[in-house]
Amino acid sequence: MYEDNQNDITRLVVRSAQLLLAYGAESDLVEELSQRLGKALGLASVELSISSNALVLTSLVHGRCITTTRRIRAHGINMMVVCELQRICILTEKGIYGANEVRRRLARVEPKTYPAKVVIPVVALSCASFCHLFGGDFMACVLTFIASSVGMGVRLFLAKRHFNLLINFAITAFVTNVIAQLGYVYPVSETPQITLAASVLMLVPGFPLINAISDMVKGHINVGISRWGNASLLTLASVIGITIAMQLGGIF
Amino acid sequence: MMSLLLELLHDAFFSAIPAFGFAILFNVPKRYLGYCALAGALGHSARTFLMHFNMPIEWATFAAAALVGVITIQFAKRHLAPPLMYAVAAIIPMVPGTYAFNTVIALIQLTAQSQVSPELSAQVIVNGLKTVFILGALAVGLALPSLLYYRNRPII
Repeated sequence: MYEDNQNDITRLVVRSAQLLLAYGAESDLVEELSQRLGKALGLASVELSISSNALVLTSLVHGRCITTTRRIRAHGINMMVVCELQRICILTEKGIYGANEVRRRLARVEPKTYPAKVVIPVVALSCASFCHLFGGDFMACVLTFIASSVGMGVRLFLAKRHFNLLINFAITAFVTNVIAQLGYVYPVSETPQITLAASVLMLVPGFPLINAISDMVKGHINVGISRWGNASLLTLASVIGITIAMQLGGIF
Repeated sequence: MMSLLLELLHDAFFSAIPAFGFAILFNVPKRYLGYCALAGALGHSARTFLMHFNMPIEWATFAAAALVGVITIQFAKRHLAPPLMYAVAAIIPMVPGTYAFNTVIALIQLTAQSQVSPELSAQVIVNGLKTVFILGALAVGLALPSLLYYRNRPII
Protein backbone atom coordinates (compact mmCIF):
# COMPACT_ATOMS: atom_id res chain seq x y z
CA MET A 1 0.00 0.00 0.00
CA TYR A 2 1.36 3.39 -1.01
CA GLU A 3 1.06 6.77 0.64
CA ASP A 4 -1.60 8.29 -1.59
CA ASN A 5 -3.57 5.09 -1.36
CA GLN A 6 -3.64 5.14 2.44
CA ASN A 7 -4.75 8.74 2.38
CA ASP A 8 -7.55 7.89 0.01
CA ILE A 9 -8.82 4.92 1.99
CA THR A 10 -8.66 6.87 5.26
CA ARG A 11 -10.89 9.51 3.70
CA LEU A 12 -13.41 6.88 2.67
CA VAL A 13 -13.47 5.34 6.15
CA VAL A 14 -13.81 8.66 7.94
CA ARG A 15 -16.56 9.73 5.57
CA SER A 16 -18.59 6.65 6.36
CA ALA A 17 -18.05 7.12 10.10
CA GLN A 18 -19.10 10.76 9.79
CA LEU A 19 -22.29 9.84 7.96
CA LEU A 20 -23.11 7.12 10.49
CA LEU A 21 -22.75 9.49 13.44
CA ALA A 22 -24.60 12.34 11.78
CA TYR A 23 -27.62 10.18 11.01
CA GLY A 24 -28.00 8.64 14.43
CA ALA A 25 -26.03 5.39 14.74
CA GLU A 26 -24.76 4.42 18.19
CA SER A 27 -21.02 4.83 18.89
CA ASP A 28 -20.34 1.12 19.14
CA LEU A 29 -21.71 0.54 15.64
CA VAL A 30 -19.72 3.47 14.24
CA GLU A 31 -16.50 2.15 15.73
CA GLU A 32 -17.13 -1.43 14.64
CA LEU A 33 -18.14 -0.55 11.07
CA SER A 34 -15.26 1.83 10.41
CA GLN A 35 -12.72 -0.64 11.77
CA ARG A 36 -14.16 -3.42 9.63
CA LEU A 37 -14.31 -1.23 6.53
CA GLY A 38 -10.72 -0.08 7.07
CA LYS A 39 -9.44 -3.64 7.51
CA ALA A 40 -11.36 -4.80 4.46
CA LEU A 41 -9.78 -2.06 2.35
CA GLY A 42 -6.29 -3.02 3.53
CA LEU A 43 -5.50 -0.78 6.52
CA ALA A 44 -3.63 -2.48 9.37
CA SER A 45 -5.76 -0.82 12.01
CA VAL A 46 -8.22 2.02 12.48
CA GLU A 47 -8.42 3.89 15.79
CA LEU A 48 -11.34 6.13 16.50
CA SER A 49 -12.09 8.78 19.06
CA ILE A 50 -15.69 9.92 19.14
CA SER A 51 -17.02 12.92 21.00
CA SER A 52 -20.39 14.60 20.87
CA ASN A 53 -19.74 16.77 17.83
CA ALA A 54 -16.44 15.66 16.33
CA LEU A 55 -14.61 12.58 15.24
CA VAL A 56 -10.87 11.85 15.17
CA LEU A 57 -9.69 8.87 13.16
CA THR A 58 -6.20 7.43 12.77
CA SER A 59 -5.33 4.80 10.22
CA LEU A 60 -2.19 2.74 10.46
CA VAL A 61 -0.27 0.91 7.71
CA HIS A 62 3.37 -0.19 7.83
CA GLY A 63 3.99 1.89 10.94
CA ARG A 64 2.70 5.01 9.20
CA CYS A 65 -0.21 6.93 10.71
CA ILE A 66 -2.68 9.30 9.14
CA THR A 67 -4.91 11.21 11.52
CA THR A 68 -7.87 13.22 10.44
CA THR A 69 -10.68 15.06 12.20
CA ARG A 70 -14.22 15.64 11.06
CA ARG A 71 -16.91 17.88 12.50
CA ILE A 72 -20.26 16.17 13.08
CA ARG A 73 -23.48 18.08 12.59
CA ALA A 74 -26.51 16.12 13.62
CA HIS A 75 -28.96 15.78 10.74
CA GLY A 76 -31.74 13.93 12.50
CA ILE A 77 -32.28 10.22 12.43
CA ASN A 78 -32.19 8.44 9.12
CA MET A 79 -31.97 4.67 9.23
CA MET A 80 -31.82 4.38 5.43
CA VAL A 81 -28.32 5.89 5.48
CA VAL A 82 -27.17 3.69 8.37
CA CYS A 83 -28.54 0.61 6.63
CA GLU A 84 -26.82 1.48 3.34
CA LEU A 85 -23.46 2.01 5.09
CA GLN A 86 -23.74 -1.29 6.90
CA ARG A 87 -24.37 -2.96 3.56
CA ILE A 88 -21.34 -1.26 1.96
CA CYS A 89 -19.17 -2.47 4.84
CA ILE A 90 -20.35 -6.08 4.60
CA LEU A 91 -20.00 -6.23 0.82
CA THR A 92 -16.48 -4.80 1.08
CA GLU A 93 -15.61 -7.39 3.68
CA LYS A 94 -16.79 -10.15 1.37
CA GLY A 95 -14.49 -8.77 -1.32
CA ILE A 96 -17.30 -7.71 -3.66
CA TYR A 97 -16.53 -3.99 -3.42
CA GLY A 98 -13.09 -2.45 -3.91
CA ALA A 99 -12.05 1.06 -2.91
CA ASN A 100 -13.38 2.60 -6.13
CA GLU A 101 -16.76 1.00 -5.78
CA VAL A 102 -16.96 2.08 -2.11
CA ARG A 103 -16.17 5.65 -3.15
CA ARG A 104 -18.93 5.60 -5.76
CA ARG A 105 -21.47 4.18 -3.33
CA LEU A 106 -20.52 6.67 -0.60
CA ALA A 107 -20.94 9.57 -3.02
CA ARG A 108 -24.37 8.26 -3.89
CA VAL A 109 -25.62 7.98 -0.29
CA GLU A 110 -28.25 10.59 0.26
CA PRO A 111 -30.75 10.88 3.09
CA LYS A 112 -34.15 10.16 1.63
CA THR A 113 -37.06 10.88 3.94
CA TYR A 114 -40.69 9.88 3.78
CA PRO A 115 -42.98 12.63 2.44
CA ALA A 116 -45.01 14.69 4.91
CA LYS A 117 -48.30 13.33 3.62
CA VAL A 118 -47.21 9.87 4.82
CA VAL A 119 -45.46 10.90 8.06
CA ILE A 120 -48.25 13.11 9.46
CA PRO A 121 -51.09 10.55 9.32
CA VAL A 122 -49.02 7.61 10.62
CA VAL A 123 -47.58 9.57 13.54
CA ALA A 124 -51.02 10.94 14.40
CA LEU A 125 -52.43 7.43 14.23
CA SER A 126 -49.63 6.26 16.53
CA CYS A 127 -50.50 8.89 19.13
CA ALA A 128 -54.19 7.97 18.82
CA SER A 129 -53.39 4.33 19.53
CA PHE A 130 -51.27 5.37 22.53
CA CYS A 131 -54.37 7.20 23.75
CA HIS A 132 -56.41 4.03 23.28
CA LEU A 133 -53.81 1.90 25.09
CA PHE A 134 -53.85 4.29 28.05
CA GLY A 135 -57.62 3.89 28.31
CA GLY A 136 -58.96 6.93 26.52
CA ASP A 137 -62.43 6.73 24.97
CA PHE A 138 -63.12 7.00 21.24
CA MET A 139 -63.58 10.78 21.11
CA ALA A 140 -60.35 11.23 23.08
CA CYS A 141 -58.53 9.20 20.41
CA VAL A 142 -60.06 11.30 17.62
CA LEU A 143 -59.00 14.48 19.38
CA THR A 144 -55.50 13.08 19.89
CA PHE A 145 -55.34 12.27 16.19
CA ILE A 146 -56.28 15.84 15.24
CA ALA A 147 -53.96 17.47 17.77
CA SER A 148 -50.93 15.41 16.88
CA SER A 149 -51.43 15.68 13.13
CA VAL A 150 -51.49 19.46 13.41
CA GLY A 151 -48.49 19.28 15.75
CA MET A 152 -46.56 17.04 13.38
CA GLY A 153 -47.37 19.43 10.53
CA VAL A 154 -45.94 22.31 12.56
CA ARG A 155 -42.86 20.27 13.44
CA LEU A 156 -42.12 19.38 9.81
CA PHE A 157 -42.82 22.97 8.70
CA LEU A 158 -40.30 24.35 11.22
CA ALA A 159 -37.74 21.62 10.49
CA LYS A 160 -37.87 22.45 6.79
CA ARG A 161 -36.99 26.05 7.60
CA HIS A 162 -34.00 24.94 9.71
CA PHE A 163 -35.20 26.33 13.04
CA ASN A 164 -33.28 25.26 16.10
CA LEU A 165 -34.58 21.88 17.22
CA LEU A 166 -35.32 23.15 20.74
CA ILE A 167 -37.46 26.02 19.47
CA ASN A 168 -39.13 23.62 17.10
CA PHE A 169 -40.03 21.22 19.92
CA ALA A 170 -41.31 23.99 22.19
CA ILE A 171 -43.58 25.47 19.51
CA THR A 172 -44.82 22.04 18.42
CA ALA A 173 -45.64 21.06 22.01
CA PHE A 174 -47.46 24.36 22.52
CA VAL A 175 -49.63 23.99 19.41
CA THR A 176 -50.38 20.32 20.09
CA ASN A 177 -51.36 21.01 23.68
CA VAL A 178 -53.58 23.96 22.80
CA ILE A 179 -55.54 21.78 20.39
CA ALA A 180 -55.67 18.86 22.82
CA GLN A 181 -57.22 21.19 25.42
CA LEU A 182 -60.33 21.48 23.25
CA GLY A 183 -61.41 18.30 25.07
CA TYR A 184 -61.81 20.42 28.22
CA VAL A 185 -63.66 23.21 26.41
CA TYR A 186 -66.17 21.00 24.59
CA PRO A 187 -67.26 18.03 26.69
CA VAL A 188 -67.08 15.46 23.89
CA SER A 189 -64.82 13.07 25.81
CA GLU A 190 -64.85 11.61 29.30
CA THR A 191 -61.06 11.42 29.46
CA PRO A 192 -59.59 14.74 28.29
CA GLN A 193 -56.47 14.35 30.46
CA ILE A 194 -55.40 11.25 28.49
CA THR A 195 -55.60 13.22 25.26
CA LEU A 196 -53.33 15.81 26.81
CA ALA A 197 -50.70 13.21 27.71
CA ALA A 198 -50.93 11.08 24.56
CA SER A 199 -50.88 13.81 21.92
CA VAL A 200 -47.43 15.09 22.88
CA LEU A 201 -45.86 11.60 22.94
CA MET A 202 -44.54 12.12 19.40
CA LEU A 203 -42.04 14.54 20.98
CA VAL A 204 -40.49 11.96 23.32
CA PRO A 205 -36.90 11.66 22.06
CA GLY A 206 -36.93 7.86 22.08
CA PHE A 207 -34.03 7.29 19.73
CA PRO A 208 -31.56 9.67 21.42
CA LEU A 209 -32.46 8.27 24.84
CA ILE A 210 -31.98 4.63 23.86
CA ASN A 211 -28.77 5.51 22.00
CA ALA A 212 -27.54 7.37 25.07
CA ILE A 213 -28.05 4.51 27.49
CA SER A 214 -26.81 1.98 24.95
CA ASP A 215 -23.60 4.02 24.48
CA MET A 216 -23.01 4.32 28.21
CA VAL A 217 -23.62 0.60 28.81
CA LYS A 218 -21.11 -0.29 26.11
CA GLY A 219 -18.39 1.99 27.47
CA HIS A 220 -18.76 5.20 25.45
CA ILE A 221 -19.57 7.18 28.56
CA ASN A 222 -18.89 10.69 27.30
CA VAL A 223 -20.87 10.34 24.06
CA GLY A 224 -23.66 8.73 26.05
CA ILE A 225 -23.79 11.56 28.55
CA SER A 226 -23.85 14.20 25.85
CA ARG A 227 -26.65 12.38 24.03
CA TRP A 228 -28.53 12.10 27.33
CA GLY A 229 -28.08 15.83 27.84
CA ASN A 230 -29.34 16.50 24.37
CA ALA A 231 -32.41 14.34 24.86
CA SER A 232 -33.12 16.00 28.23
CA LEU A 233 -32.90 19.44 26.65
CA LEU A 234 -35.39 18.40 23.98
CA THR A 235 -37.75 17.10 26.66
CA LEU A 236 -37.32 20.33 28.60
CA ALA A 237 -38.14 22.37 25.49
CA SER A 238 -41.36 20.45 24.94
CA VAL A 239 -42.22 20.81 28.62
CA ILE A 240 -41.86 24.59 28.32
CA GLY A 241 -44.29 24.56 25.40
CA ILE A 242 -46.75 22.38 27.31
CA THR A 243 -46.53 24.55 30.45
CA ILE A 244 -47.23 27.77 28.57
CA ALA A 245 -50.19 26.19 26.81
CA MET A 246 -51.60 24.78 30.07
CA GLN A 247 -51.26 28.06 31.91
CA LEU A 248 -52.96 29.92 29.09
CA GLY A 249 -55.73 27.33 29.12
CA GLY A 250 -56.05 27.68 32.89
CA ILE A 251 -55.66 23.98 33.68
CA PHE A 252 -53.52 24.78 36.69
CA MET B 1 -57.99 -17.64 29.44
CA MET B 2 -59.90 -16.50 26.37
CA SER B 3 -60.14 -12.96 27.67
CA LEU B 4 -56.38 -12.89 28.27
CA LEU B 5 -55.77 -13.98 24.68
CA LEU B 6 -58.14 -11.32 23.36
CA GLU B 7 -56.47 -8.70 25.52
CA LEU B 8 -53.05 -9.70 24.19
CA LEU B 9 -54.25 -9.55 20.57
CA HIS B 10 -55.82 -6.16 21.17
CA ASP B 11 -52.58 -5.04 22.76
CA ALA B 12 -50.47 -6.40 19.91
CA PHE B 13 -52.57 -4.58 17.31
CA PHE B 14 -52.52 -1.22 19.02
CA SER B 15 -48.79 -1.36 19.74
CA ALA B 16 -47.93 -2.42 16.20
CA ILE B 17 -49.34 0.91 14.94
CA PRO B 18 -46.97 3.16 16.95
CA ALA B 19 -44.00 0.90 16.16
CA PHE B 20 -44.81 1.26 12.47
CA GLY B 21 -45.44 5.00 12.74
CA PHE B 22 -42.21 5.74 14.55
CA ALA B 23 -40.26 3.50 12.17
CA ILE B 24 -41.46 5.85 9.43
CA LEU B 25 -40.41 8.84 11.53
CA PHE B 26 -36.90 7.32 11.79
CA ASN B 27 -36.85 6.72 8.02
CA VAL B 28 -36.50 2.95 8.22
CA PRO B 29 -36.44 1.58 4.64
CA LYS B 30 -39.84 0.48 3.36
CA ARG B 31 -39.11 -3.25 3.19
CA TYR B 32 -38.27 -3.45 6.92
CA LEU B 33 -41.28 -1.54 8.27
CA GLY B 34 -43.34 -4.69 8.73
CA TYR B 35 -40.63 -6.27 10.87
CA CYS B 36 -40.53 -3.20 13.14
CA ALA B 37 -44.30 -3.46 13.62
CA LEU B 38 -44.04 -7.20 14.33
CA ALA B 39 -41.29 -6.77 16.91
CA GLY B 40 -43.22 -3.91 18.53
CA ALA B 41 -46.38 -5.99 18.79
CA LEU B 42 -44.51 -8.97 20.26
CA GLY B 43 -42.63 -6.84 22.78
CA HIS B 44 -45.59 -4.90 24.10
CA SER B 45 -47.90 -7.89 24.34
CA ALA B 46 -45.14 -9.87 26.10
CA ARG B 47 -44.98 -7.08 28.66
CA THR B 48 -48.76 -7.07 29.11
CA PHE B 49 -48.68 -10.86 29.49
CA LEU B 50 -46.06 -10.67 32.26
CA MET B 51 -47.87 -7.82 34.01
CA HIS B 52 -51.03 -9.91 33.94
CA PHE B 53 -49.24 -12.29 36.33
CA ASN B 54 -48.50 -9.41 38.69
CA MET B 55 -44.93 -8.82 37.65
CA PRO B 56 -43.84 -5.24 38.37
CA ILE B 57 -43.74 -3.05 35.27
CA GLU B 58 -39.97 -2.54 35.44
CA TRP B 59 -39.14 -6.25 35.40
CA ALA B 60 -41.78 -6.98 32.78
CA THR B 61 -40.28 -4.23 30.61
CA PHE B 62 -36.81 -5.64 31.09
CA ALA B 63 -37.89 -9.13 30.01
CA ALA B 64 -39.89 -7.79 27.06
CA ALA B 65 -36.98 -5.62 25.92
CA ALA B 66 -34.64 -8.63 26.10
CA LEU B 67 -37.14 -10.56 23.97
CA VAL B 68 -37.21 -7.70 21.44
CA GLY B 69 -33.41 -7.69 21.48
CA VAL B 70 -33.23 -11.41 20.65
CA ILE B 71 -35.89 -11.19 17.92
CA THR B 72 -34.38 -8.14 16.25
CA ILE B 73 -30.95 -9.78 16.12
CA GLN B 74 -32.52 -12.60 14.11
CA PHE B 75 -34.09 -10.05 11.75
CA ALA B 76 -30.80 -8.22 11.47
CA LYS B 77 -28.92 -11.40 10.59
CA ARG B 78 -31.43 -12.24 7.91
CA HIS B 79 -31.37 -8.79 6.27
CA LEU B 80 -27.82 -7.64 7.06
CA ALA B 81 -29.14 -4.46 8.65
CA PRO B 82 -28.23 -2.98 12.06
CA PRO B 83 -30.37 -4.51 14.86
CA LEU B 84 -30.97 -1.16 16.55
CA MET B 85 -32.94 -0.10 13.47
CA TYR B 86 -35.71 -2.56 14.27
CA ALA B 87 -35.29 -2.47 18.01
CA VAL B 88 -35.77 1.23 18.72
CA ALA B 89 -38.97 1.47 16.69
CA ALA B 90 -40.18 -1.72 18.36
CA ILE B 91 -39.75 -0.50 21.93
CA ILE B 92 -41.31 2.94 21.32
CA PRO B 93 -44.72 1.69 22.57
CA MET B 94 -43.03 0.76 25.87
CA VAL B 95 -41.21 4.09 26.39
CA PRO B 96 -42.62 5.59 29.63
CA GLY B 97 -44.01 8.73 28.01
CA THR B 98 -46.98 9.22 30.32
CA TYR B 99 -44.89 8.67 33.46
CA ALA B 100 -42.47 11.33 32.24
CA PHE B 101 -45.36 13.64 31.38
CA ASN B 102 -46.98 13.20 34.80
CA THR B 103 -43.64 13.75 36.57
CA VAL B 104 -43.08 17.03 34.83
CA ILE B 105 -46.65 18.26 35.22
CA ALA B 106 -46.56 17.51 38.96
CA LEU B 107 -43.19 19.24 39.18
CA ILE B 108 -44.58 22.38 37.57
CA GLN B 109 -47.65 22.34 39.82
CA LEU B 110 -45.29 22.03 42.77
CA THR B 111 -43.39 25.10 41.63
CA ALA B 112 -46.57 27.07 41.17
CA GLN B 113 -47.62 26.51 44.79
CA SER B 114 -46.31 28.54 47.67
CA GLN B 115 -45.73 25.54 49.95
CA VAL B 116 -44.60 21.97 49.38
CA SER B 117 -47.54 19.61 49.15
CA PRO B 118 -46.88 15.98 50.08
CA GLU B 119 -49.23 14.56 47.41
CA LEU B 120 -47.51 16.39 44.58
CA SER B 121 -44.03 15.53 45.87
CA ALA B 122 -45.05 11.88 46.10
CA GLN B 123 -46.31 12.04 42.52
CA VAL B 124 -43.04 13.54 41.31
CA ILE B 125 -40.95 10.91 43.07
CA VAL B 126 -43.07 7.89 42.10
CA ASN B 127 -43.52 8.85 38.46
CA GLY B 128 -39.93 10.06 38.09
CA LEU B 129 -38.48 6.84 39.49
CA LYS B 130 -40.75 4.76 37.24
CA THR B 131 -39.61 6.76 34.21
CA VAL B 132 -35.93 6.33 34.94
CA PHE B 133 -36.13 2.63 35.81
CA ILE B 134 -38.32 1.71 32.84
CA LEU B 135 -35.96 3.55 30.47
CA GLY B 136 -32.99 1.78 31.99
CA ALA B 137 -34.76 -1.58 31.74
CA LEU B 138 -35.52 -0.94 28.07
CA ALA B 139 -31.99 0.01 27.09
CA VAL B 140 -30.21 -2.66 29.12
CA GLY B 141 -32.72 -5.31 28.06
CA LEU B 142 -32.11 -4.44 24.41
CA ALA B 143 -28.35 -4.58 24.86
CA LEU B 144 -28.54 -7.87 26.79
CA PRO B 145 -27.85 -10.25 23.87
CA SER B 146 -24.75 -8.33 22.83
CA LEU B 147 -23.58 -8.04 26.45
CA LEU B 148 -24.00 -11.73 27.25
CA TYR B 149 -23.62 -13.62 24.00
CA TYR B 150 -21.98 -11.46 21.29
CA ARG B 151 -19.25 -10.24 23.58
CA ASN B 152 -16.27 -9.76 21.30
CA ARG B 153 -17.67 -10.37 17.88
CA PRO B 154 -19.91 -8.37 15.60
CA ILE B 155 -23.57 -9.39 15.40
CA ILE B 156 -23.64 -9.36 11.62
